[in-house]
Amino acid sequence: MKRLCHLARLRALSLFLLGGAALALTAGASDKIVVKGSDTLGAKLMPRLKEEFIAIKKAKGETVTFEIAAEGSRTGIAAIIDGKADLAMSSRELQSSEMSAARAHGVNLKAIPVGVDGIAVIVNKDNPLDGLSLREVEMIFTGDIDDWSAISPVSGKISTYTRNTSSGTYSLFQSLALHRRDYSPFAQKLAGNEQIAAEVAHNPRGIGYVGLAYTHNPGVKVLAIDGMMPSNESYPLARPLYFYVNVNEEHPPVVQEFIDFILSPEGQAVVESVDFLPASRLKEIYPELAAD
Amino acid sequence: MDGPTAQSPLNLRRQRDPRVFGVDRQSLLKAFFGGNAIVAVIVLLLITFFLFREGLSFFPQYREDMELYRRSGMEYASLVKQEHDRFNELLGQLVDIRKRQIRQLESEGKTREEIAALTAPMQAYFYDFSDLAIPLRDYQIAVRDLAAETYKQARMDAEQHRIDTTHTADQHAHVIDYDGTITQIKATFPQLTALNNQLESDMLVVLRKFPPLEDPSLQPLVKAFRKDAIAFTAGLPHYGATLAEWEPERSVGLWEALKTFLFGEQWIVNNNGHSLFGLLPLLTGSLLVTGIAIVLALPFGVGAAIYTNQMARRGEAGFIKPCIEFITAIPSVVIGFFGIAVFGTLVRELSGTPWLDWLPGFPIAERLNAFTAGCLLALMAIPTIFTLSEDALSRVPRVYTESSLALGATRFQTTMRIIVPTAVSGIVSAVLLGIGRVIGETMVVLLCAGNRIRIPDFSEGLATPFQPVHTMTGIIAQEMGEVAQGGIHYRALFCVGVVLFLLTLLINFAAQKIFRHTRVGE
Repeated sequence: MKRLCHLARLRALSLFLLGGAALALTAGASDKIVVKGSDTLGAKLMPRLKEEFIAIKKAKGETVTFEIAAEGSRTGIAAIIDGKADLAMSSRELQSSEMSAARAHGVNLKAIPVGVDGIAVIVNKDNPLDGLSLREVEMIFTGDIDDWSAISPVSGKISTYTRNTSSGTYSLFQSLALHRRDYSPFAQKLAGNEQIAAEVAHNPRGIGYVGLAYTHNPGVKVLAIDGMMPSNESYPLARPLYFYVNVNEEHPPVVQEFIDFILSPEGQAVVESVDFLPASRLKEIYPELAAD
Repeated sequence: MDGPTAQSPLNLRRQRDPRVFGVDRQSLLKAFFGGNAIVAVIVLLLITFFLFREGLSFFPQYREDMELYRRSGMEYASLVKQEHDRFNELLGQLVDIRKRQIRQLESEGKTREEIAALTAPMQAYFYDFSDLAIPLRDYQIAVRDLAAETYKQARMDAEQHRIDTTHTADQHAHVIDYDGTITQIKATFPQLTALNNQLESDMLVVLRKFPPLEDPSLQPLVKAFRKDAIAFTAGLPHYGATLAEWEPERSVGLWEALKTFLFGEQWIVNNNGHSLFGLLPLLTGSLLVTGIAIVLALPFGVGAAIYTNQMARRGEAGFIKPCIEFITAIPSVVIGFFGIAVFGTLVRELSGTPWLDWLPGFPIAERLNAFTAGCLLALMAIPTIFTLSEDALSRVPRVYTESSLALGATRFQTTMRIIVPTAVSGIVSAVLLGIGRVIGETMVVLLCAGNRIRIPDFSEGLATPFQPVHTMTGIIAQEMGEVAQGGIHYRALFCVGVVLFLLTLLINFAAQKIFRHTRVGE
C-alpha cells in the first residue's frame, strides 16, 4: 500500500515535470515582435501583415505574437532608440535630431522601405471643387487665404484639419506641399486619419489630408492636385513608408523572417490590398533612392 | 499592573499581546498609520519637486534656444514673414470683396455655375494679385533654409552636449559658423530691396487692372482695398530698413524668455527644427472652456442643491441626490466620446435650423469647439458644486430656520433670505472647487475642444464660445508622447504643467480661505 502511494507520487511528479518542460518548450517557440510608430502604417497595413504572418507561421507549427502601438512616427522612433521596440513604423525619413539621438544611444537604424503612400487632400462631397493647384493647397493650409470664396464659387470660412505634431504625415505634408512653411494658426490638430475624414465628411467647409486608405469614407471627395489624382505616377504628394530596425542589436530570428515576409511578393500583395503602392514603385518616385 | 483598580482577567490577557521586537500591537499599528501618512506627504513633495525642477529648467534652455535662433539668422526669416503677413491682410480684403459678391449672387438665387461665370474676372484678378507675393515667399524660404541649416547644427551640438556632459570641451571640435551664415544672409539684402521695388511697381500695375464691379455697395470696400494696397507699397522700404538694422548678436535675457513663454501668442512645434512656446493660446483656451462650464454648471448645481436641501420632500431628495452624484461615476473618456459622437453633431445640426439664426454664431461650422467641451465639463462640475453646496446649506444651524419661521416668515422667504445668504461662502467655495475640477480635466477637452492653437477671437462677442480652442491639459496629453526626455519641448510641457498646478492650487486655496473665513455657527 505504501509503495503504491509512493509510485503514484512519483508518477505525478514526473508528469508535472514533463508538463513544465512542454510549457517551457511552447513558450520558447512563441516569439514576440514589438512594433511601434506611424498611425498610417499601423492602422490597416500592420494588422493585415500580422494576420498573414501569423497564419504562415501557424502552418509551420510555430506561434508568434505581436505587440503593436501606432501613435505616430515620432513615438515609434523614440521607442526603438530607447530599446522598447523591435521595429519602428515611419511615414517619413529620420530627422536630424533623431539621428543624433540614435547615435548618442549607440543605435544604428536601418530603413526598410515597405511601400509608398499618397497623401490625399479631401473635401466634403458638397464642395464644388474637383481639384486644386499645389499653390492653392499651400495658401489654404498656411492660412494665406481663409475663405472658400477666394478660389471657388462658394463662400464660407475654410475649416482646415491637420494631424498633430507627432504624426509623420504632418511634417511630410509640410515639406511636400507647404515648402515647410508654418501651418495656419486656424488649423485644427486631430489625432488620426480617421478623425480627419470624419470631420471633413461632416463639414461642408472642411478640408484635410489623409493617407490613401482613408479616402473611401462616405461623404468625402479626393481632390486632384495640379490635375493629378493620387493614383497618378507623378502625383506630387506621395511619400515612402519605412520600417526601421536597429542593426546594432541582436534580434530573435523571427524579426528578420517578418521583414523578409513583408518584402516578399505575398507581403507586397498585402501592401497593395490596403491602398498603398508596392515598395518597388519607390524608385520611380524617388530616383535618388535608387542610387543607394 | 500597579493601576489603582483591579484588572479584569480579560484585560490581563490583552496585556500579553504578541510583541514583535519588543513593540506591542498598538504601537505597531500606530507606526503603520503614521508611516502611511508620511509616505503620502513624501510622494507629494517628490512630485512637486520633480514638476518644478523639470518645469523651471525650461527657461534657461529656452533662452539659449532663442539666442541660437537669433544668431543663426532664423529670426531674420521670421521678420520677412511679417511683410508677407501684411500682404496676406490685403489678400484677405480682396477675398472679402469676392465673398460679398458671391453672397449677393447666392441671395439672388443663382446657381454655382452662374456664380462662377459671373465672378470669373474677380477670380482671375485674385490669382494675379496673390501671385505678386510669390517672389517674396521664395525669398523668405531661401533665407530660412540658409539659416535653418546652421540652426539645426547648433541645436544638434547643444543636444549632444546635454546628453554627454561627461566629456565637455574636447568634444567641441567643429565650431558652428554663425558669422558665415549671417554674412550670407546679409548678402541677400539687396535682393530683398530689388524684390520690394519690383513688388511695388507690379502691384501698382495690377491695381489699375481691377475688374469693374456692378454692385455699388462694394465700391467702398474696393476703395479701402486700393488705399491700403498703396499704403502697403509706400511702406515697403520701411521693411527693408528694419531688416537692415537687425542685430543677430544681441543676447537674450532670461526675463525675455520668461516673457515670451507667458505672453507668447504662438505655440508652434518643430517647424524646421525650431519651436515657439507661447502660453497665451492655451491659457485663454482653458479659461474660456472653464468659464463656459461654470456659467452652465452654476445655476444647475446650486439650484439643485437649494431645491434638494430646502424644498424637496424626503423621497425626492433621496432620488435626486444619488442621481446627480452618479454623474461622477461616468469616466471622462466616455463623456468625451459622447461629445464627439453625439453632442457635437447634435449642436451643429441644431444650429443649422433656420429659426435659430438669430442666436450669435449660428449656424456654427465646427462641431468640436469650446462650447461643446464646456457643456460636457459643466456636466462633470455639477456633482462637485451640488454636493458641496448642499453640505453648506445643511450646515446652517437649525436655530436660524426656527427663529425665522417663528417671526412669521414663510418657508420660501426663510430659504431665500436667511439660509442661502448664510451659506453663501460655502456655495462660493463649492463653485471654486468646481472650477478647480474643470480646469484640470483632460480627456474631454482633448477630444471635444477642437484643438486649434490660437487665442480665441473675442471680437466675435457672444459667438466666441463656438470657436475651437486648445487647452493646457490637452496640449500636455497630446504632445507628451512624442517628446525626447529632457529636451526643450519636454520641459515646455512641464512648464505648462507648473502653471496649471499653480492655478489649481490658487483656486483651491481661495476656496478654503473663503470657506473658513465665514463659517457659520461656530
